[in-house]
Amino acid sequence: MSWLNRLLNLVRSDRLSRDIDREMSFHVGERTDDLVAAGMSRYEARREAKRRFGNYGMQKENTRAADVFTVIDSLLGDVRYAVRALRSTPAFALVAVLSLGLGIGANTAIFSLINAVMLKTLPVSHPEELVQVNMGDDQETFTNPLWEQVRDRQDVFSKVAAAGSTRFNLAAGGEARPVAGNFVSGDYFATLGVRAAAGRLIERADDVRGCAGVAVLGHAFWRTEYGGDASAVGRMINLDTRPFRIIGVADQSFFGVDVGRTVQVYAPLCSEAIIRGAGSALDRRSTWWLNLIGRPKADMAPEQVRAGLKRIAPASYESTVPPNWGVKNQKEYREGTFDAVPAGKGMSQLRRQYRTALFALMSVVGVVLLVACANVANLLLARATARQREIAIRLAIGAGRGRLVRQLLTESVLLSALGAGVGVLFARWGSQLLVRLLSTSRNTVSLDLSLDMTVLAFTVAVAMATGVLFGLAPAWRSSRVNPQAAMKAGGRGVAEGHSRFSIAKALVTAQIALSLVLVVSAGLLLGSFTKLANLDPGFRPAGVLVVTVDARNASTDEARRGELYQRMLERARALPGVTSASIADLTPISGSSWNDEIYVDGLTLKSGRDALVYFNRVSDRHFTTMGTALVAGRDFGAQDTPESPQVAIVNDAMAKKFFAGSAIGKHFRIKEGDALQPLVEIVGVVKDAKYKDLREETLPTAYYAATQIAKPGSFISFVLRGDGSALALTNGFKSVAAEADPRLSLRFVSLEEQLATSLTRERLLATLSGFFGALALLLATIGLYGIMSYNVARRRSEIGVRIALGAARPRVVRMVLGEVGRMVVIGLAIGGVAAAASTRLMKTLLYGLSPSDPTTLAASGAVLLVVALAAGLVPALRASRLDPMDALREE
Amino acid sequence: MAKQRNDILQGTLGLLVLKTLAGQGPLHGYAITSHIQRVSADMLRVEEGSLYPALHRMEQDGWVRAEWGTTEKNRQARFYVLTAEGKRQLAREEEGWARLTEGVRRVLRYA
Repeated sequence: MSWLNRLLNLVRSDRLSRDIDREMSFHVGERTDDLVAAGMSRYEARREAKRRFGNYGMQKENTRAADVFTVIDSLLGDVRYAVRALRSTPAFALVAVLSLGLGIGANTAIFSLINAVMLKTLPVSHPEELVQVNMGDDQETFTNPLWEQVRDRQDVFSKVAAAGSTRFNLAAGGEARPVAGNFVSGDYFATLGVRAAAGRLIERADDVRGCAGVAVLGHAFWRTEYGGDASAVGRMINLDTRPFRIIGVADQSFFGVDVGRTVQVYAPLCSEAIIRGAGSALDRRSTWWLNLIGRPKADMAPEQVRAGLKRIAPASYESTVPPNWGVKNQKEYREGTFDAVPAGKGMSQLRRQYRTALFALMSVVGVVLLVACANVANLLLARATARQREIAIRLAIGAGRGRLVRQLLTESVLLSALGAGVGVLFARWGSQLLVRLLSTSRNTVSLDLSLDMTVLAFTVAVAMATGVLFGLAPAWRSSRVNPQAAMKAGGRGVAEGHSRFSIAKALVTAQIALSLVLVVSAGLLLGSFTKLANLDPGFRPAGVLVVTVDARNASTDEARRGELYQRMLERARALPGVTSASIADLTPISGSSWNDEIYVDGLTLKSGRDALVYFNRVSDRHFTTMGTALVAGRDFGAQDTPESPQVAIVNDAMAKKFFAGSAIGKHFRIKEGDALQPLVEIVGVVKDAKYKDLREETLPTAYYAATQIAKPGSFISFVLRGDGSALALTNGFKSVAAEADPRLSLRFVSLEEQLATSLTRERLLATLSGFFGALALLLATIGLYGIMSYNVARRRSEIGVRIALGAARPRVVRMVLGEVGRMVVIGLAIGGVAAAASTRLMKTLLYGLSPSDPTTLAASGAVLLVVALAAGLVPALRASRLDPMDALREE
Repeated sequence: MAKQRNDILQGTLGLLVLKTLAGQGPLHGYAITSHIQRVSADMLRVEEGSLYPALHRMEQDGWVRAEWGTTEKNRQARFYVLTAEGKRQLAREEEGWARLTEGVRRVLRYA
């Protein structure tokens, strides 16, 4: 057990040293005694005993070496030495550890997000085996009939399952309480290999047409809603007011297969019919809402799985052709195929949406870390210069240069390890904050950000790499000290070698270049965000409240729904504070859209895509409420009834595209499959407005009259414009709804928030890049200030002589600032080239700005120049106020 | 590690120590040195300190065991005892030594 002993000896290092000392001095003592006994004087005897013993220190070292692992031992020695050295300069250590902590922390935070969104596999059994079935291209969602074909025909999976996302409303009426839900097929949990934390999970027998409602709770939901009480199993839960029996709770770590979205309630696919009734999508052949995930049989190679799926495709599509489609579309549908892609990491909307953004942020924080490294390297260089004498002495008494470099490197790695410690704390807090920034009121993002091995390994690697990166140059330089010269110079003299200084200057120049890249990126992202946030969407969102009403469970029957909505609209218009109100099927930038192909007499359109028009159905005064100007024709009114001819109001874009600008009185028809629907007459034209995305090119849009439909749908939005805050109208509308029908379910959001939500990614990028840009700028400024202060201090005597010989003070200021200027100009030139090269990569993240936008580039350069000169001004002024007598007397 | 001046002895020091301990029972380092010097009639002189790295190495190798004890003069000293493994090692080293000297002797005689 020699190695164990040696390892233990490392731990009890001090005791070991003492024991060896005791043993060896006993020897010398005995020898001395014997020599005295033989007649020598005590003093002589002692000298002789020591002579015979040999080199005491070396023998002790050798003995120690026999008892411990030498490498680790000397490493520990280095660490002890480094700790001592850092404790002797606490200010330096604090600044270095904090800047590294910020740099490493930012990297860890962003990386843990990347890890959670992109790298982690699903917490299910053997996630690497799972595959997602798709339709060969990006199309990932299936209709239920098509899923049933795959389920029944496939012979490549041991288990395969389908899941459709939904939102269940827990409230019986009034304001909705939505929770994230999944409709899942019978084999869903079995396919994934998820265990129940309580009760049982949904099984094949639960998923049959006409089933009774059962529900499985997500673990987190069970904890928050039922306090983790096992007796929740067997109780009833109301989902969209329909009773479901809770049969069990899913495993703690399981959140579904959609990374970023934690499912709270699972219900079998068949129960979709319970909730949606006649609107059920179970037999709809063109409602695409299911994701398919399967576990291939053990002996199936990926190619076999794909081939097997392709084999069943023709028959599957053939039996599910949507009957109402046009001949051409039906033909295309029949030619559909299946494919399979690995799904061990789950499927994620978040991943698709944030992929580029996360990589951009990772690069940004990487650069921030480099800037921080340069700062610490500069601090270390300055310190190494101050320690030159110490190092010279160590070299003179025989320390090896390699050993010295190792020791200095140990110091920098220790610094970065401390930085990593601070960084991990910072990252814990930072990544939580990031997830909150990602979440919107409609969509809570939940990610497992626990520190796993991947993140820890990343942090350790980053810390080690940075430690070596910023430590190597100073360590290497120190070891090249010529002991004689260093001892002789002793820190005195008018002129000094320029070598350290030029490394330091190069570092500061690099910092300026890197900061410029970050400031330019931040400027571009901020600019894009501001453009998006301030663009004219074609309506005025301020003061507008959107109420989404769900009337599926209303007590009012379907036939009288139109009256119900109309009555509520009248009441809402009479509410205090409401200046205008309307009804709309859809509200802008809500994530929903409705489009159809149109046919215009005498106009040949190139393709179906070219004939695509976006629709909405709105009440009278809708355009007044939204703040969109009517530019020609009339608004909807009482004359538009289900019996009167179909009319529409179109936007400018549609009028221009299909009617050469004069649309009033013209007609169009909707193409449904190959059939044409009745003529629609255009009675008004409104200004263009954004429809589903603020970034979009204006879409041709047509609005129908809400009053022309006999049976309005069960989902409708009320739009209320108030003279004050939008949300102040909430309570008024609640009472209107409660009075009209207490079983209506309501969701409130201000139109401004609805817009802001659509810019979550842009806001996140702008905020973070702005923050990191500022951080880099701050670090670079500190670096510049430090190096100039040091430089002025170093040249004290030289400047003193200049002033004594009559140099005017402004001249001294100019001299120092000139030096700053040179560094900044070179840094900006390099940074400009680097920025031009790197910003091209973020093209897709920008809006309305070219990656090489000259204004942004110039402004960023100017900001850097001003900040740098300001940082240089303080030491410059200090230099000019130098009293020559003082400066020279020190010599 | 520094090069030892008495390279030849370095190789045999272990043998001498093991043999000494085998014959004399528990001894401290100084006693081992004195014994070797006395028995060899002062022909073998080592830098006395170099005994300790050797002793500690042998301890880590499991050939000797060490314990703190009290000398006749009532001082604290570290006493070394041969282990079973040490006895086997001694046998091996004695055999090795015999072969070496036999080899050298033959060369000296017949070359």
